[in-house]
Amino acid sequence: LLPADWSADKDFKRLNALSSASERTIEPVGPHFLAHARRARHKRTFSEDDRI
Amino acid sequence: MAENASNAGPEPGSRVTIGITFGNSNSSIAYTTDSKAEVIADEAGDRQIPTVLSYNDGDEYYGGQAKAFLVRQPKNTIAYFRDFLGQDFKSIDPTHCHAAAHPEDTSGTVSFSVKDKEEESSTLSVSEVSTRFMRRLVSAASEYLGKKVTSAVITVPTSYTEKQREALIKAANDAGLEILQLIADPVAAILAYDARPEAEISDKIVVVADLGGTRSDVTVVASRGGMYTILATAHDFDFAGVHLDNALMEHFAKEFMKKHNTDPRSNPKSLAKLRLEAEATKKALSLGSNAQFSVESLADGYDFSVSINRIRYEMVGRKVFEGFNRLVEGAVKKAGLDVLDVDEVVMCGGTSHTPRIANNLRGIFPETTAIQAPATSTTAINPSELQARGAALQASLIQEYEAADIEQSTHPAVTTVKHIANAVGVVTGENGDVFLPIMPAETAVPARRTVQIPTPAEGGDVLVRVVEGGTHIKVTKPEPKPAKEESADKEDDEDDSDFDSDEEEEEEKREKIWKIGGELAEAAVRGVKKGGKVEVTINVAADLGVTVTAREVGAKGGVRGQI
Repeated sequence: LLPADWSADKDFKRLNALSSASERTIEPVGPHFLAHARRARHKRTFSEDDRI
Repeated sequence: MAENASNAGPEPGSRVTIGITFGNSNSSIAYTTDSKAEVIADEAGDRQIPTVLSYNDGDEYYGGQAKAFLVRQPKNTIAYFRDFLGQDFKSIDPTHCHAAAHPEDTSGTVSFSVKDKEEESSTLSVSEVSTRFMRRLVSAASEYLGKKVTSAVITVPTSYTEKQREALIKAANDAGLEILQLIADPVAAILAYDARPEAEISDKIVVVADLGGTRSDVTVVASRGGMYTILATAHDFDFAGVHLDNALMEHFAKEFMKKHNTDPRSNPKSLAKLRLEAEATKKALSLGSNAQFSVESLADGYDFSVSINRIRYEMVGRKVFEGFNRLVEGAVKKAGLDVLDVDEVVMCGGTSHTPRIANNLRGIFPETTAIQAPATSTTAINPSELQARGAALQASLIQEYEAADIEQSTHPAVTTVKHIANAVGVVTGENGDVFLPIMPAETAVPARRTVQIPTPAEGGDVLVRVVEGGTHIKVTKPEPKPAKEESADKEDDEDDSDFDSDEEEEEEKREKIWKIGGELAEAAVRGVKKGGKVEVTINVAADLGVTVTAREVGAKGGVRGQI
C-alpha cells in the first residue's frame, strides 16, 4: 500500500541501477533465438518487433 | 567457413533437410513433417543405427549388420571413431577399439587399415571413414523420404573443439551433404521437448543428463524465454553404458565359469559374443523385469543360457549407477547451483532408458523437479531420439536461410550478450517482505517479462517496489529426538508435508529462500479498484537499462519510468 507521504515526479522514483551482469553465450538454437538474432541484426526493440 | 562459399550448397528453396545425431556408439536421423519431428529407421528397421562400418568380401556394411561382424570380422570392422575426428593420434583413447580395427598413427592423424576390397586392403583416414558412414546415413534417409537429402543439422558434444567441428563439416561435405549448422547435443534435447505443441516456454533451469555408450555428458542450462544458455558442463568417460555392459559381462562370465571351467573373456571371439549379448540383455532389462542371456557356442563349444532379473542387475551395476548420481550432482555444483534450483532434468542418450538411473535422480532432486525419462514420466520422449529430433527441428527452422544469414546470426556478436546476475522482481506480501521474481537470474538481455500481482483487498493506491533478489538455501536442523513425541502433532500444520515416516523427520529440511537485494525503483499506481490486479512489466535493455511499466489490469495509462 502507498504510504501517505510518498510522492515522486510522475509517480515514479528511480533508485539504483542493476548491480551486476556477466557476459555469457546464448546457444544459437530454437525459434526464440532466431527471433532474438533478427532483432539484434536489425537493431529493433521488442515493441517494434511486435508490430511487424 | 569462408571457403564454403565457393562450393555453394543448394538454393535455400530446394533443400531437403534432416537432423543427424552422430555418436560414438549409435547415430540417428530424423526429419520433420508439419513441424513435428520423426526419427527415420534404416533399411534394417533400426532407429538407433550403430556407428559401425564393416567390410566383408569387398562389400560395405554399416549399422546393425556391421556391428554383428565384430564377432567374425573384427579386424575389418571400424567402430567408436566419432571422437577421433579432428584429433591428433596422441590425444585419442583407443580403449573401445580393442575388439575392432585398431586406430593407427598416420603422420599424427588417425586412420584404420581394413580390407575394403576383395583382394587388397586400404588405409582409411578417420575422416574418410566418417564420410563413408555419413553417406550411408544420408542414403537411408533419402530412400525413406523418396527425395535426395541435401542438407542437415548435426549435433555435437559441448566439448567439441573448433578443429573437430571443421573436421566433421568436411567429412559431411565430402559425403555430399551441406551442413547448415552444428548444434550442441544437450540443447538439441531441450529443443525436442520445448517444440512440442503442448509445451509451455518458461524460465527454468534444466539439467541435461546425456548418458551414452562410451561417454556421459551432463549439462546445466538456463532456459529463459525459450533461449538457452549453458551454465556448466561435465564430461565423463568412466561411467557410461559400456561400463554397465562390462559389469554384466563379468557377472555372466563368472556364471559360465562355474559350469564350464573356461573364462569366455580370455578368447577374443567369445568376448565379442559376450559383449554383444550383454548389451542386448541390458536393453531388455530396461523394458522388462526379467531377461534372458543366451549365446550359442560361447566358449569351448559350450552354449550358455541363463536368465537375470532387474534387481540382480541393479546390484551388479550399482557402482556405475552411483557414478551417474555423482556426475549429475557435480555438474549442478559446478554451475554454482543447488539441486533445489533445478526445475527439470532431461534424460537423453541410450543409457537413460535404465529405470534405476531415473529413479535414483528422482531421489536426489526435490519433488517439484520434473525428471523427463520413461521410468519417471509418462509424457517423456524416447531418450535415444531427443537429439536427432532437436536437430531436425532446427534444420527445418533454418532451411530457408541463406548460408551467410546463418553464419551472421550465429556470430559471437549476436550470441554473446550480458546475462543479469540477480533476479529482478517486486516486493509483495502483507508486510512487504516477500519477493516475487519477475525475471530470473541468468536471463539474457534484452529481455521483457510481465507479471500480475494482487493488490490489497480494499483497493486504493498501490506502491510497486522493484528490487533485485537472490536465493540462498536455508537449512533447518531437525528437532532433537526426545522433544519429537510431544510436539510432532502440533508442528505438523506448519510443515506442508503429510508424511509422518520417521526417516523423513530426521532429515534436515532444506529450502530455497529469496533474499531481497537492492531496490531499483518505486512506482505508484493510484486508485486501484477492489480486488484489482496490477500488471508490472520489466524490460531490460542490452545496455542493462531497465524500463518499468505498472498499470492496473484493464485500466489505461499506468506508470512508466526508466532506470
